[in-house]
Amino acid sequence: MDMVLEADRLGKRYGSTWALRDCSLHLPAGRIAALVGPNGAGKSTLLHLAVGLLKPDAGAVRVFGRSPYGDTEGLADIGFVAQDTPLYRDFTASELVIAGGKLNKRWDATLARQRLAQLGIPPDKAVGKLSGGQRAQVALALALAKQPRLLLLDEPVASLDPLARREFLQSLMGSVAESGTTVLLSSHLLADLERVCDYLIVLNASQVQLTGAVDDLVAGHRQLVGPRHDGGAIGGVAAVIRASHTDRQSTLLVRTDGPVTDPAWTVREVSLEDVVLAYLADGTTQTSHSEWGVAA
Amino acid sequence: MIWLTWRQHRKQAFYTVLGFVALAALLVPIGLSMRNTFSDLGLTDCVSQLARADVAQTTRETCEAGFQRFGSQYGSLNLVAVLLITLPALVGLFWGAPLVAREVEHGTHRFVWTQGVGRTRWALVKFGLVGAAVVILAAAYGLGMSWWVDPLTQAAYEGRLGMIVFDLQGIAPIGYTLFAVALGVFAGTVWKRMLPAMGITLAGFIGVRAAVEILARPHYQPARTQTFPIAGEGSPEISRGDWILTQGVRNPDGTMVAEDTRIQCPPGGKGPDGRVCGAELGLEPGAYNWQLYQPADRFWLFQGIETGIFVALAVLLLYLAVRRIRRIA
Repeated sequence: MDMVLEADRLGKRYGSTWALRDCSLHLPAGRIAALVGPNGAGKSTLLHLAVGLLKPDAGAVRVFGRSPYGDTEGLADIGFVAQDTPLYRDFTASELVIAGGKLNKRWDATLARQRLAQLGIPPDKAVGKLSGGQRAQVALALALAKQPRLLLLDEPVASLDPLARREFLQSLMGSVAESGTTVLLSSHLLADLERVCDYLIVLNASQVQLTGAVDDLVAGHRQLVGPRHDGGAIGGVAAVIRASHTDRQSTLLVRTDGPVTDPAWTVREVSLEDVVLAYLADGTTQTSHSEWGVAA
Repeated sequence: MIWLTWRQHRKQAFYTVLGFVALAALLVPIGLSMRNTFSDLGLTDCVSQLARADVAQTTRETCEAGFQRFGSQYGSLNLVAVLLITLPALVGLFWGAPLVAREVEHGTHRFVWTQGVGRTRWALVKFGLVGAAVVILAAAYGLGMSWWVDPLTQAAYEGRLGMIVFDLQGIAPIGYTLFAVALGVFAGTVWKRMLPAMGITLAGFIGVRAAVEILARPHYQPARTQTFPIAGEGSPEISRGDWILTQGVRNPDGTMVAEDTRIQCPPGGKGPDGRVCGAELGLEPGAYNWQLYQPADRFWLFQGIETGIFVALAVLLLYLAVRRIRRIA
């Protein structure tokens, strides 16, 4: 399988804190991948490393087999929309299309203009005066005009209202479906991306918790409900991800490596969201009682 | 890249040029009237006559009187000159500091540095274009100021080498302005916010300028010494335009008796108490006036050295800025 993005024990440190640590993952070509994790999990850091804005402090990241930091040629293949879709606010959309043409060797200005016309974006209005949704669409149109083979979007819908969110994702899907572009888009909410992605990377506390194709992940996890469980092995279960117990009953979310045939357990299928929440809850919360000066 | 730079900064460039033109509109009439008065008082002649060694005592006295009249009429303009010195710093604040800091503050660096050009080239083109514009502006400013301040400097003893007027004219403003812009750019890559970057730029600019001016400039060339006797007719002979670093009266054995002063007594003159002139100060017979100075004809040499120092500092800062830009995400 062709790998677009590969990270191998990738790490990035700010001062003495690791924003990303021991991050290993592979993103196969042609996927629409969701990068999900709570705020501060290291999603932006990972994307910045992938687009070459940051230099890794440990490990390596490769995009199309090249190390992106300081690689200007490689940039041509990567489209990037940063968080809050920063654009020169006093430029009009049409000026931004011209600017993109001056800044890139490969640039499809016609495509960008057509997209923006289709979306009803005014060409001669400063983009700072457009709505958040329109501005995000302009940023996306500019990223797509590069005709990238990999499109990275950092929280593209976080600041949009639900309607604009849907429109944005629809127009994104519409355009990458034709070109076969690999997409990696991040969000702190899975719900935003669940309907569009077919690949998932879950980051939490600067580490990769889960990665894989959505279908495999859903198929590979089950919820088991049965008598109170003491931690012993269950046939067909590779790992217990999360367990909750009442006095007599246990509810487990497990990764399976075969059919669970033990009749003591009721096996239920899980949604993608169940899986993600189970992995996110796995990371322990750091308490800060001493900083607050209160008793634990 | 060039198109982008122009599009981004055209408004700012327009207002800068507008301000520059307004300033010229204000200063040119003042300069013209100053020059008229200067020649009306016959001071243009004086300048050429005083430059000769065999100038007559009467000519010298009339000329001194003329310079004094000119000075009392236009001396307040020296304050304007002091204000004009701040212009390079302002260019550094408003052109240098925001160049990178504004992009980072607005997040647009993530847009522009992930296009196909790469940030090193982005930085070089931006610095190059802004630098070129600044050089043109500063050269116009330096030449204009040379013309404007010329009568004021002619009328002052120190001449063009004096503090403030030296900084105002010639090619030195090019060095100062480039340095201010480079300092602003560098501060912007370190603090990444416009206001702190501007503050640091201002403080740094003042600090470095003052340090170079006070500590380094007097030593660009070994200073010359000159001595002349304390007895003599008329007013003491001072070569106009020399930059006097220190002066005083020394005894024959070389010990400094009175600093920052000079003495002239008529031949055989007596002090107030009837003793030999200067005896009340502890002067022994044979005492002489002494001065350490930089001669006026070193003006362009000093301008060149001063400009070179600041251009070198600017290049260093821009190099460091490019290196820092590679670390900003």
